[in-house]
Amino acid sequence: MKRLLGLLALCFVGVVHAHAHLLQAAPADGSTLSVPPSAFSLKFNEAATLTALTIQKDGEAAQKIERLPAAPSAQFNIPAPKLDAGSYALSFRVLSDDNHVVSGTIRFKVMPAS
Amino acid sequence: MSADLLSVIVRTLAFVCLFQAAGAAFFVLLFGARLANSDHAIRRLGFWTAVAAIPLLAAHQGLDAARMAGSLSGLGDAHLQSLAWDSGGGNAAALEIIGLGVIALGLAPHSSPTGDIASLGALIATCAAVLTGHTSVHPEHARLAALLALHLVLVAFWFGALLPLIICSRRESRQATVALLREFSSVAGPLVPCIAIAGLAMALVLMPDRTSWSTTYGSLVLMKLLSFVGLMLLAAWNRWRAVPAIERSHTAAAGQALTASIAIEYGLIVAVLAVTATLTTFYSP
Repeated sequence: MKRLLGLLALCFVGVVHAHAHLLQAAPADGSTLSVPPSAFSLKFNEAATLTALTIQKDGEAAQKIERLPAAPSAQFNIPAPKLDAGSYALSFRVLSDDNHVVSGTIRFKVMPAS
Repeated sequence: MSADLLSVIVRTLAFVCLFQAAGAAFFVLLFGARLANSDHAIRRLGFWTAVAAIPLLAAHQGLDAARMAGSLSGLGDAHLQSLAWDSGGGNAAALEIIGLGVIALGLAPHSSPTGDIASLGALIATCAAVLTGHTSVHPEHARLAALLALHLVLVAFWFGALLPLIICSRRESRQATVALLREFSSVAGPLVPCIAIAGLAMALVLMPDRTSWSTTYGSLVLMKLLSFVGLMLLAAWNRWRAVPAIERSHTAAAGQALTASIAIEYGLIVAVLAVTATLTTFYSP
């Protein structure tokens, strides 16, 4: 059995191709900003279709960001709505090349203007 | 209820119905000649599970639009629905539905008595999954597709035979039941371990390095493998203890012990299908 598993391992060594995952975001997860962001930037490891993007301020209802790009891309720059000081959660959903829906949330804070 | 959770529940139910329908078709093809009193009931089981699987698969594909939106409101979004259906997943679902339709036609009353048409539908329905998921975009696609098809066809054969075996044990004579159980064991014996071998071979392609096995995806694959070991032990108990007990004396107790063991096997496989539905919905290697 051990020999069979070893042979299988040798036969099937390859490169891992998982579905899309977020490489980089601006604002970054856990960041604190002195001024509100003018745009949200999401960079993925492979092209994906952005199907939903919402921004939610702590204690308030989530706000859907409309007019997302229809074409698949590895990087998205979406104009941000006007944000006040507070804690926010930016949630996204993308459709991967392998037909999987991938979701994620980026949390950041906007400091009050001094 | 969230769109994600609903999608996993519907996917699990769709898996159960699809594999049951396909397995009933294979069972009729392989053992139909021995089914003097249970043929009609097994065909009915296959027919109705095929019919039930069709709306479940369509609902699951529609729910992908809701998952893309992050809420059930996505169900009514034409753009997201078109993304869900104009994809590899949509093609796979369409092919599965066609396969299930062929199974239903092949097992309907007054259809071919040999189960050959239904088995063709079963092959289409079970193998359609190669059109979507991690394996469909992998550089080793051809090898993975062959392994996945083998894995799924054998799962359908095994899982889909369990309820027919219970039906046979209740409707056929003692001699016919024992002969059928012996024949099933001789066919399943060499085939069922290939489910794990094909699954493990796929896992080694998708997770070539050791660190991948410590991820959630890797842990769920290991959980599937452990469940399979438990199922093999149960199958061995059936083959070496329960079937000889019926052979010696066809008492109610011997029959009930076999039925209970097969029912546990069925429940464990449903649990594995639920893990698979979760694995393939949320995680990647």
